[in-house]
Parts: sequence; C-alpha cells; structure tokens
Amino acid sequence: MKRVQFEHSAVPYLFVAPQILIISIFFLWPAAQAVYQSFLLEDAFGMSSQFVWFRNFEDVLSSSSWTRSAIFTVVFSVLVSVLSIAISLFLAVRADEVVRGAKSYKTLLMWGYAIAPPVAGLLGNMLFNPLMGDLYMAFNSFGFEFNHIENANDAAFVVILIAVWKQVSVNFIFFLSGLQGIPKSVQEAATLDCKSPERRFWTITFPLLAPTTFFLLVINLTYAFFETFGIIDVSTKGSPGGSTATLVYKVYVDGFLGADLGGSSAQSVLLMIMVSVLTVFQFRFIERKVHY
Amino acid sequence: MATVTLNQAEKTYANGYKAIHGINLEIQHGEFTVLVGPSGCGKSTLLRMIAGLESISDGEISIDDKVVNKVAPADRDIAMVFQNYALYPHMSNYNNMAYGLRNHGHSKSEIDSKVREAARILQLEDHLERKPSQLSGGQRQRVAMGRAIVRQPKVFLFDEPLSNLDAKLRVDMRLEIKNLQQRLGITSVYVTHDQVEAMTLADRLIVMNGGVAEQIGSPIDIYEKPETLFVAGFIGSPAMNFLPGKVSDDRTHVVVGDKVKLDLDHDVEAGRNVTVGIRPEHFRLCGDDAGPVSASVRMVESLGAETLVYLDFGIGNENVTLRVQGTHQFAKGTVLKLSITPDMIHLFDTETGKRI
Repeated sequence: MKRVQFEHSAVPYLFVAPQILIISIFFLWPAAQAVYQSFLLEDAFGMSSQFVWFRNFEDVLSSSSWTRSAIFTVVFSVLVSVLSIAISLFLAVRADEVVRGAKSYKTLLMWGYAIAPPVAGLLGNMLFNPLMGDLYMAFNSFGFEFNHIENANDAAFVVILIAVWKQVSVNFIFFLSGLQGIPKSVQEAATLDCKSPERRFWTITFPLLAPTTFFLLVINLTYAFFETFGIIDVSTKGSPGGSTATLVYKVYVDGFLGADLGGSSAQSVLLMIMVSVLTVFQFRFIERKVHY
Repeated sequence: MATVTLNQAEKTYANGYKAIHGINLEIQHGEFTVLVGPSGCGKSTLLRMIAGLESISDGEISIDDKVVNKVAPADRDIAMVFQNYALYPHMSNYNNMAYGLRNHGHSKSEIDSKVREAARILQLEDHLERKPSQLSGGQRQRVAMGRAIVRQPKVFLFDEPLSNLDAKLRVDMRLEIKNLQQRLGITSVYVTHDQVEAMTLADRLIVMNGGVAEQIGSPIDIYEKPETLFVAGFIGSPAMNFLPGKVSDDRTHVVVGDKVKLDLDHDVEAGRNVTVGIRPEHFRLCGDDAGPVSASVRMVESLGAETLVYLDFGIGNENVTLRVQGTHQFAKGTVLKLSITPDMIHLFDTETGKRI
C-alpha cells in the first residue's frame, strides 16, 4: 500500500515555529546551558571559569546537605501526592452524593484552584505566625509543643499542609469529572450486585477512576517536585537549616544565593535525570495496570 | 419463583412531580409481565421502584408477600438487565457475571459452575476471559443476561433491554429471552415502548399512560377489547382509525361524516356522539359488489406481504388506513367498496375516552 504523500510546503513548519521557539528559548537553551555550566568551576565573582569534568557532580553527590534534601524531596513528594489525592478523592465522592446544595459545595471546594502557590504560602505564613497565627496558637494550646521555626518535623508539616491544601482543589475537579463519567446504570447495576457501599467503591468506582488517578499521580508528583517552590520560598525558605528545602529550592539557594553556579547546575542536571527516570517508570509500570 | 404485589404504589419526585399514581398489580409465580407505554409514562420508574433504585413515595411493593419498601436493592433477590447493558468495563465477562455471586458469599467452585452454566446457555463460553469492550452489542447484552441468571433471582427486571440492538438481532434476542424465561420459570417484569416486543413476550400486558395503568390484561384481550381510546390507539400497528360518529335514531347503525353508515349491534342509546374505532386490518374489500362504505384512495404503501391504503372518508383531511393482504395496485382516486362486521367496530365515549 502506498502512503499518502503530501506536497512539501513550509506552512506546517511555520505553524509549529512559535512553539519550537518558546521551547528552545525557555527550555532547550537553559537546559543546555545548565549541562555546560555543570562542568565548570567558577570563582565567586564570576570573573573566570575552569572546565572540571565531573567534579561538581562528585561534590554534590558526596555532600550530606544534598542527600538530606533529596530524601526530604522524596518523602515530601510522596506525602503531598498521596495525601492530596486521597483527600480530594474522598471529598469528590462525598460531594458527588450530595443532592441539596450540590453546586455550593462543589464551588467552594474548587475555589482553592484560583490561588497561586506563593499566595498559599503567604496564607500559611499567617496561620503559623508565632505571634498571631491561629493554627500556631491552636496547636500550642492543645498541648503540642509546636514550633516550625526550630523543629524540622514541624516545619515539614507546615509546608506539606500548605502544599496539600493548595493541590486538593485541582484534584477534586478531576475526580469529580471522572466520577460523573462513570455511567449511572453501571453504578446502579453495582447497587443490585453488592450491598456494601465501601466494597462497591473499591471494586467498581475506584478501578473506573484509575485512569484519572494515574494522571493525577503524574501531575501531583510534578507539582510536588517543582511548583511547590513558591510555597517553600514564602513560608519556610528551607529552614530550619535547609531541612525543608526540596531539590529545586536547593538549586535556587546554592546557585542564586550561594553563587555556586557550577554546583547548582550539576544539581539541576541530576534533577532532570531523576524526573526523566520517574516519568518513564510511571508510564511503563503504572499505566499498564489502569487500562481497560 | 416469586410473586410481586404492588399495593397503591406511588412515586412523587422532590420537585412535586407525580410520576406514578397509585398502581395496584399482582404478578403471579413465573409470569412474564410487560409494561408498555410512550416515553414519560412512568413505566421505567415503576420498574426501578420494584428494583429499589427509586424510593417508593406511598403504598407498598412486596416480593413473595414481604414488603420491600425499605429493603436494599441487593437484598431484594432481583436481577436487572439494563438498556445500555451496564457491564463493568474493567472486569472480564467472567467476573462481570461472578461479581454479584462473590458479594453474596458463594464458594469459589459454586460460582465457577454457575457462571460456566450460564455461559453455556448463552453461548458465551469462548468469550469469558475477554472484556465487554471486545464484544459486539448482542454479545454484551448476553453477558448482561448472564449476570442476571447466575444469581437465580426471584424476579427478573428488564429495562428496554433490546432498544440498543439492530432490528435483526432484536428479533433473535426477543425469542431468546422468551425461551430462557419459560425454561427458567422466573417471574419477570419487562419494560418496553415497542409494541411488537410487548405483544410477543407478555403473558400479561400493562399499558401505561401518564403514570396510570390504563389497562391490564393478556395481549390478545387488550388488542381485541381496548378499554380506552389511548390503549386502542397505542396497541396495534398501523394504529386504529378513529372516526367521529353519531348513533342513528333506530340504534342499528352509526353515521360517520355525512355519507358513511356502519351497522351496529352495540347496546348504545340513540343520538349519542361517539368515537368509532376500526383497525386497518378489519375492513374487507368487496370488489365491485356494493359494499356499505365507499371511499377514494389517497395513497398506497406496498410492503410486499401486505398493502397499506390511505383512504378519504370525507371527514376533513384525515386519512383512514386500510390494510390488505398481498400486493394491490390502486390508482389515486380509485373508489373502493368496503365492508366491516359490527363486532369489529369499537365504540368509545367521545368525552371520557372509555369503551362503550
């Protein structure tokens, strides 16, 4: 069979050119720059630089602060993704069942979507302000010795709480539309076949939401890795002692505040590799289980 | 096997709309009951009330003398076949059929033998490991049937199960459903808007209109003695002809329009205004002999086995349909002589629509 041959023309290339231009300027070029920089050692004033092969990588990988940040990032991302998916799934299922005032519930739950991460961080800052923060006061009045300024775990709790809260509304929208995509008659057939609502949820509803859940898992991990930058920068700034700095935040701190361009570039190259591996893993192994 | 009893069952929605107005009905052991009516008549709502998918606003529904108003759908011991199959898309066909049994705590070997038996009856043995999306419409409907029969329920509920299938498959599945129901002897309630399905499947037919059961009876009874104008017009295809008429002074005939006189042997008072109902198949062509009725041809539709002729009876623009066996060629304007025996004439009160 012969393939359909289109006449060669410049027009299609013209149409994709803006996108290619944007990707080149804002992604490919900086990425190449980062890879190049990661092989250089620069003096503190940026006057001279020296090609050092993999020394920056060796330094990064052997530094305990990077390892600690990497571990925090993994724990943080997993917790943020799992918690925000679980909470929003619960909320979506309950909101879907509501009959009276359903619209108000749904609108209120979606509202958070409109809030930018730094603003969410600012809100968190106010709620946890040691002088006037309501949550800070509440926790301490309940007898917890809550102090996120000094205690690393408490600080992690604060950033996770803000990050999850910010993401719940996004996930909620997707789960709600996913739930509404399940045919009503399938749900009804299940009501006739199975008495327990919990069992029905885990055997029918949840498997049918699997494509949505998988999609959200990818989105949420990416969010936890990269987009929480704004939240961390506004709320804890990585403190105490860098314990709440994710890898992305550490790249920024070391490169732009610490002026170690080579080391920070090496970190971002490592980050790129990690994300690529994670993405391949997700599509290879998890997506396989969700198709029907 | 079981009986289903409806005692003044009513359904009123939250917005105040009354979908079902107090229906009384007793369905016997193993009886095949068909609910038929136009869309919006409440037939599906009534079925869903028996299933437990809709709450019962007033009155009682009992299965085997046990009131089920407050019983969960899964505990009513019923199985339902839906119009769009409603199979679980993520499960294999085997698991689709086994799902209900598993939730009712049957043993693994018992489930396996039941599912395989159902698959054998429905010729699905080769498709058990596949998913519903890999099957054709007819096969999917079979899996849905299989899911219902493995449960060996007291009552089968069918909600327009054949409307998504193409015409030929519909006829095959109709026979299959009838056959299966007779073999298993399970009490069944079947909802349809298709009167051929209704006539062929039903032991007992319930014609519904506006949330009310207009008539309950055997299909032939309903065809021969429709109690209301609505039932008369709904059952039978092409539909019954309705003509405005007036009973003559000597009560021996009814005058339709200004020239047609039909003989009567009904017991009806003289001079009363009535609606005369005549089925298209009950006219007889009289050839050239003088029949009592003469009418000119407006249009002819040939269907091969039969011919539909649309006639001008001199009552405005309305056509009167005549159905004759075989093929006939009538030119437009031809005057046909017709006769009809008095016992084939239905009379209805023009005001109330009730049979006289």
